[in-house]
Amino acid sequence: MNRLLKIAFRDYIAYVRTAGFWLSILLMPLGIFVFGGAPLLVSRSEPVPNLAVVDFTGQGYVAQVGKFLKPASPEQRPVARLVDPPGGPFADPADAAAHLKPYVAGTLALPGGGQLEAAAILKPGPEGVDIDYWSRNVADRSGEYAINQAVSQAMRRASLARAGIGPAALASVDALSPRVTDYSAKVGGKASQREKVRSFAGVGMGFLLWMVVFTGAGMLLNSVIEEKSSRILEVLLTSASVPQIMGGKILGVACVTATVLGVWLTIGGVALSITAPSIAADLGSVLLTHGMIAYLALYFIGGYLMFATLYVTVGAFCETTREAQTLLGPMMILLSLPMVFMTQAISHPDSPLLATLSWVPVFTPFMMAARAASDPPLWQIASTGALMFATTALELWLAGPAFKSGALSSGRFEIRNFFATLARRTGE
Amino acid sequence: MQAALELESVTKRYGDFEAVRDLSFQVQSGKILGFLGPNGAGKTSTIRMILGLIAPTSGTVTVLGAHDVCQVRDRIGFLPEERGLYRRMTPVAAISFLAGLKGVPMAEGRRRANKMLDEQGLGEAKDRQIRSLSKGMAQKVQLLSALAHEPDLVLLDEPFSGLDPVNQQSLETLIKGLAARGATVVFSTHVMQHAERLCDQVVLLANGRKVFDGTVDQARSAAPRSLILEGVFDPAALAGLPGLGERTVEAADEGAIRVTATLLPGAPAQAALVAAFGLGLDIRRFELREPHLHDAFIVLTNAGGSE
Repeated sequence: MNRLLKIAFRDYIAYVRTAGFWLSILLMPLGIFVFGGAPLLVSRSEPVPNLAVVDFTGQGYVAQVGKFLKPASPEQRPVARLVDPPGGPFADPADAAAHLKPYVAGTLALPGGGQLEAAAILKPGPEGVDIDYWSRNVADRSGEYAINQAVSQAMRRASLARAGIGPAALASVDALSPRVTDYSAKVGGKASQREKVRSFAGVGMGFLLWMVVFTGAGMLLNSVIEEKSSRILEVLLTSASVPQIMGGKILGVACVTATVLGVWLTIGGVALSITAPSIAADLGSVLLTHGMIAYLALYFIGGYLMFATLYVTVGAFCETTREAQTLLGPMMILLSLPMVFMTQAISHPDSPLLATLSWVPVFTPFMMAARAASDPPLWQIASTGALMFATTALELWLAGPAFKSGALSSGRFEIRNFFATLARRTGE
Repeated sequence: MQAALELESVTKRYGDFEAVRDLSFQVQSGKILGFLGPNGAGKTSTIRMILGLIAPTSGTVTVLGAHDVCQVRDRIGFLPEERGLYRRMTPVAAISFLAGLKGVPMAEGRRRANKMLDEQGLGEAKDRQIRSLSKGMAQKVQLLSALAHEPDLVLLDEPFSGLDPVNQQSLETLIKGLAARGATVVFSTHVMQHAERLCDQVVLLANGRKVFDGTVDQARSAAPRSLILEGVFDPAALAGLPGLGERTVEAADEGAIRVTATLLPGAPAQAALVAAFGLGLDIRRFELREPHLHDAFIVLTNAGGSE
């Protein structure tokens, strides 16, 4: 086993042996699950709110509102539970409001127990019906929306009935809808779920790449800073060449990130197979056909190498993480830009702006991964790939002496020293 | 005998600053060389040039017969001045990893690490993480990691710093053992006693220039001998004594004074003593003090620095 592999193996084992590594690996999917499921968990943990409707219009809207509060399917929760207005009957809307306010405010409980979360008072108005909606939580507009929909539909139907259109005709008019069929020009036939999965897969891989690249680069940075501050790098330099040390560290952390990726993809794949087997099958088919894996791997490897080299070199100049942030902070802001543009690739994968950004080497891996669904022309793949790897090669050429110089330097990190070292290399 | 290490007219400049100027010396195989000099003398720059970590601006460095140190990297052991190891590794893993980088197979590296740790009294600590070891123990582990591949040339940068007297003694024994098995040892130090006891040869640097290269005895001869006279007498009376140079006077016990006078080169101490007794001076004690390496270090450093 040569020195590069020995250094890679040591770094890999050093990470993989720690409990924190496995904890963070498993916490990430858990975090995504909690993040995605949090709204559902919150709504499910809350009781169905009670809603009272007082109708002064004489049009019988309460029953109509009741229909709109019911869930669309048995798995869904009702928007609210319709309850009899407590303290009724009321003389007028003002009297109703005066009586209902203490219940909505939570001062009084409903006669059968429980709280009244909202109350709607329907009264005749200049445009037909006015609704006064009282609620404890003004941010939650779901009850108000359901009442609005219910009353609007009832008003429209009543208006049409007055114009001579009977309930049967109205039902048939409501049922009118064009039959839309999605065709994909790329497929040359009907657009399938697979096509949509393909669009999301590219963007998903772009995000995954972004996350993995910067997780790995961050690990590298910390690892090199630790070795630099403890002078281990100096000892390593007496035993191995700079390319062997840099290559070993980059490979070691690449294996770590591959392990992370493997665990995440396995967890994600199993979860998707259980919850949405057809999407999982389509995703597998998308990734395993038309060289998609090779396409994504190309940009994965290029992107990782490009950023890993940069981070390793910067790390060699720094004694502490804080020093590294001096240089990498502004760069991280710049490198957050792909995150903004990648989301646009779902609906506009052929956008000229995205195509242009694909030619900027630091953005290339993310933008090209996100554009995978649009089948970029082969010449673009080859050219952007070549440019990305040429940039990486240039970076490696500059980074070698800079890494050595940084590893042997001592004292506080100075940006000018870093750039002076790079400038010396270009002047050789 | 072939030189294990040879520097010829080596100069190293960093911009306008000259860290090492026209340095030449050689060390024979199996010898122990002390690399002495005050802070900033150019010792670390020289060691880094020997290791191939930095290139000389001019001149040549020949290590174990090779002009390119990369060719003989596996035959060199190095202990840096600022110590550090992977804190979460065990001593066995750290030593075998670094030996592995020098070409020792993993299993053999572990076997050697276990043996060396047992020999150095660190057997019980060999499977503990290095971060849990005392500073002295960790330093020993780092030293062993520089030696596990049985190098032909060992470079130790300030190896004694931070060690307690017992461990310093143990390190001296280790260095003698290395030389006994044929390895060449080069170490830098500020503690002259270690150099005095261990070195076959010393090279003294000051302001980036070599100010001395020779044996310990030759170095000592660069400093003057001293004659110490203690008693109750007028120090001015010593002015006429033959062979005496600069004098310092200090108070001694019971109203006596102690005069330390340097002897001029080649002057016999007996002549001065005979003359002193001839003058009837009340001398209660006298001592001829041979110079130590420390004295030579100061004399040579000042002479080199003043040029």
